[in-house]
Amino acid sequence: MTESSSVVVASHSAARRVLAALLIVLTANVAAAQDSQPSSSAWQFLKDKYYGDHTMGVVDEQFMSVEAPANTPDAAATPVTLHFANDPTRAIKRVRVFIDNNPSPLAATFEFTAGAVPITAIDMRVRVDRFTSVRAVAETAGGDLEMRSTWVKAAGGCSAPPAATGSGALGEIRFRPSMDAKSLQVSIRHPNSSGFQIDPRTNAPIPAHYISSLTLQAGGKPVLSADLGISISENPTLRIATDRALPTPVMIDAVDSETHAHYSATMADNRVAAAQ
Amino acid sequence: MPITAPLWPITGWLLLNDVASAELPFNLAQLTPGVFVHLGQQVSPEAAGHDDIANTGFIVGKTCIAVIDTGGSVDVGRALRAAIRQHSALPICYVINTHVHFDHVLGNAAFADDHVSFVGSATLATEMKRSESFFFQNYGARRVIGPDRLVEKDLTLDLGGRRLSLKAWATAHTDCDLTVVDEKTGTLWAGDLLFRERLPALDGSAKGWLAAIADLESWHVKLTVPGHGTLSRDLPAALAPEQHYLQALVDSIRMDLKKGVSLQSALGEAANTERGTWLLWDEVHPRNVARVYQELEWE
Repeated sequence: MTESSSVVVASHSAARRVLAALLIVLTANVAAAQDSQPSSSAWQFLKDKYYGDHTMGVVDEQFMSVEAPANTPDAAATPVTLHFANDPTRAIKRVRVFIDNNPSPLAATFEFTAGAVPITAIDMRVRVDRFTSVRAVAETAGGDLEMRSTWVKAAGGCSAPPAATGSGALGEIRFRPSMDAKSLQVSIRHPNSSGFQIDPRTNAPIPAHYISSLTLQAGGKPVLSADLGISISENPTLRIATDRALPTPVMIDAVDSETHAHYSATMADNRVAAAQ
Repeated sequence: MPITAPLWPITGWLLLNDVASAELPFNLAQLTPGVFVHLGQQVSPEAAGHDDIANTGFIVGKTCIAVIDTGGSVDVGRALRAAIRQHSALPICYVINTHVHFDHVLGNAAFADDHVSFVGSATLATEMKRSESFFFQNYGARRVIGPDRLVEKDLTLDLGGRRLSLKAWATAHTDCDLTVVDEKTGTLWAGDLLFRERLPALDGSAKGWLAAIADLESWHVKLTVPGHGTLSRDLPAALAPEQHYLQALVDSIRMDLKKGVSLQSALGEAANTERGTWLLWDEVHPRNVARVYQELEWE
């Protein structure tokens, strides 16, 4: 009796597997289409809000790419990397980064200064609240729009408590130039509280408190400015790669969302790392 | 011996090597008189049996019993309590938690009616509170009990003719690590300061953990119970693989930061040569990389 019923169960599950396989085959084309052009009601809303009915390209991977780990090791600090081509005929003016399913989806808006050292990559770390598309939309000087996106599986990044090991002075800035001086990581000590976290000591919500904007100058000229939201991780960190050594001095100025304090620092020489 | 083999040959080996010993249900072995250990399973927290992955156990004195870690669910805690009661009717005076992770603390609820004192590092109380909603949502916990007796640096507990010496550590595996030494037998309960076979999971500071390992290497103990993995009679040898892995991770990521390698790239590459025979590499290593990267970028 036990044996025969287990056989029935086995064949039943085998049938389900075949059915599932068929369904996968049947839906494969649809799924592939969705992978290359992820869409959601959240995105539809954002697209209408920021870009209206403006046509948006989605296929040009050389022009721009977005990279994030599909299974993030840390939902509260998921790395997102944007790569850009150096096409002077289609220079990028602005890039917005959206995390569709976050409570505040617009994570960052980067404004590239015309004629400045071309930026080839930007790395940032973001909070991911639940499974979502992470997308970047670039606007060229000529007004074209290009969108790239990737899918991230994560949950709870916006409400994750602050790191237990967090320390340092608020607003402390650390420059980390690479040995070839073509890449610079800038980190700012700041809780960057999302407003969705709970203080474990009091059980009260921690108010949103974050770096709301920053500007970067190199060799006395503006290179990049950014408006940042609550999706940026604790201790906001940007890595900027350029196609040549960034001219010095490099100056950063960041603004606090609550106190409006300016956190500024200057790096006189980016050959420090090479000299070590 | 393959590390994925059933646990009984390991405990059997210990039984052969110990003077007085007895094997009890719930995969429990008496290692040395009055010291009992239950070895957790080497599976991912997401796998079936995820509530029983940590080593737990208890120490019996003349008047009192101390429990050290309680497993990842009230069910495991109850099984541990039942195993204690099969062996001794003495009161359970202390439940000691070696740190905040679910697999070591969620069995505490099984001891709620025993009038015990819950003991942990001074930072454990806050850490338990921080983790409460996470435990409720992800591990089906219904009751989370934190410590009522806090260890700032050191504390000695007397079980009646048997002293336990507790030490709270600076941030290492977590920021609330605690070790226990049974002075009578020279048995060290290392908690998750020691992982064996299973890849160490970093939730505190890699540099702090390496400092703790350097300290522990000089300790003279006869037997060590790691938080995960098999027991050891040679503490420095048991610490060596974990030390090697953490040092390689630190060295590799320090170099990445110097070269301007992004976290994204480091995730796929850092210290990959260390994979070796560690269990749960794919599940644990990327998160360790992310942690160490964020720790070292402020050097």
